[in-house]
Amino acid sequence: MTSCTPHCSLLDLSDINVLEKRVAKVLKRLERLSQETISWHIKSAISSLNIIAALYGYWIREGYKSGIERIVLISKGHCSLALYTWLAEVNIIKEEELLSFANPRSRLQAHPEAGKVPGIIASTGSLGLGLSIANGIALASKMDGIDREVAVLLGDGELDEGQIWEAAATASSLKLDNVVALVDRNMTQHSGFTEHIKIKEPLKDKWRSFGWHVIEVSNNLKDIIRGLMSADSIKGKPKVIIVYGHSFRY
Amino acid sequence: MPDYSSYRRAFAEALVYLGERNPNLIVLDADTARSTGTILFAEKYPRRFINIGISEQDLIATAAGLAIAGKIPVAVAFAMFLLRGWEQIRNIIARDRLNVKLVGTHAGLSAHFDGSSHQCLEDIAVMRVLPNVTVVVPADAIATRHLIFDAIEKHKGPLYMRLGRDNSPKIYSEHDTLSIGKANILEDGEDLSIFVCGSLTELALDVSKNLKSMGISAEVVDVYTIKPLDTTTILKSVRRTGHAITIEEHNIIGGLGSAITEFLSETYPVRIIRIGIRDTFGASAKSYPELLSFFGLTVHHVLRYIKKIITGEVYAPQISK
Repeated sequence: MTSCTPHCSLLDLSDINVLEKRVAKVLKRLERLSQETISWHIKSAISSLNIIAALYGYWIREGYKSGIERIVLISKGHCSLALYTWLAEVNIIKEEELLSFANPRSRLQAHPEAGKVPGIIASTGSLGLGLSIANGIALASKMDGIDREVAVLLGDGELDEGQIWEAAATASSLKLDNVVALVDRNMTQHSGFTEHIKIKEPLKDKWRSFGWHVIEVSNNLKDIIRGLMSADSIKGKPKVIIVYGHSFRY
Repeated sequence: MPDYSSYRRAFAEALVYLGERNPNLIVLDADTARSTGTILFAEKYPRRFINIGISEQDLIATAAGLAIAGKIPVAVAFAMFLLRGWEQIRNIIARDRLNVKLVGTHAGLSAHFDGSSHQCLEDIAVMRVLPNVTVVVPADAIATRHLIFDAIEKHKGPLYMRLGRDNSPKIYSEHDTLSIGKANILEDGEDLSIFVCGSLTELALDVSKNLKSMGISAEVVDVYTIKPLDTTTILKSVRRTGHAITIEEHNIIGGLGSAITEFLSETYPVRIIRIGIRDTFGASAKSYPELLSFFGLTVHHVLRYIKKIITGEVYAPQISK
């Protein structure tokens, strides 16, 4: 399912195809890593892959074209292997460095750390903090009159944390329309099926009742990008893109 | 009735001055602005004040985001409830060494009426165990002013400041120098080092005065920086006196006493007696002096205790109320 606006027709398909090819390569790399040496939260990484590719490979660059500075926060820190293999794919880090994952001296700590991994400005790993952090950055930007937007990747299990809802209430109270949250709704958390643990549905209604604009998309690159584009036009309230399901078999 | 001044008043007024001089200063509170005093800043600089509501975890991580974006956030709440966000303090502010100043008010027994739920006797312990966090405990209102200026204009990185409420003794004058990282010798002595922090500093001075009349010369040291400890001053004092007691409005586990004990046991082991709250929770009282008396934090109790130690009557102190 998608939530489409007239913007959809302006999607640059050639760009998207290039991105999709990159994602396919990253997926292969992830699967290879997991078979050889590094298998850690692999399913969690895979389900976030399209979101990471959409944000880093499309959203940030589109922002620059319009003079908007865009920042990504990975609140769902345990999907780090998706981030790291993406960074290797786009040559921000060397492929060989992936093998140093989770060594004490490595830049690639199990959960991303600021000042170590290129492009990470807040260390995560502890779930539930990222939305508050995003709000703080977004708020500072508004105070300074800077055109800056923050996207924050949340896990759906992470929504169990009360702090997420504290931050959700803050974002809408302060009208932080430069915050866009993306929820990796893979229906899975550590102990299993999310709805058997703590019921999150009706999730879109929850976000709406907290004053957020809700966009629902499927977990594929085109839909996520469409979702991000439709978020552009929403003013006065923060936005959440709920990314349903996963597109890769595992 | 002792003559108190107010920590929170001094803090609140200092923030307003600092707000004028530092356009990047942002103050956050968790719905307690009228109690902590940040209401003064809120009224003067409404666009730089955020009431995050009764959400301390959100308070802390939002402050972190502001710091990442280049602001100087001061996150204020009752010490007890700031600690609800201890994990957030650790996992984003301490780990990333963010320039966030955390101020916990109403600490110790200062919230005398509110009782044990509100009386934070553990904050020094849990804040000093965090890497990269500076911990300061101003002795009085004037020290509060000096140290918050230092914290915001000179110090960089995570910092926790512990404040009482309206129970500040009067120790310092405007001309005194205090800087983060140091301890001050308030009185020189030969026989006993009394290390104290915060609201019980006057008590330490009174104890010293009484000991003098008993022929014991006590050196009183205001250890207003708990982390990093001013080890030079502490070591010099104990080398001179050979004996130490510590006094704090905090659990004797993990606070100033523990910090001093940890350091001296490695470098210059002497017997150290920790005076404070003996691993128990607080209680409600209609006045602060009544509460101090209830917990044995008066000159009379402390002297009686010291005498028992000197005479050998007490070796392993019991929990007393």
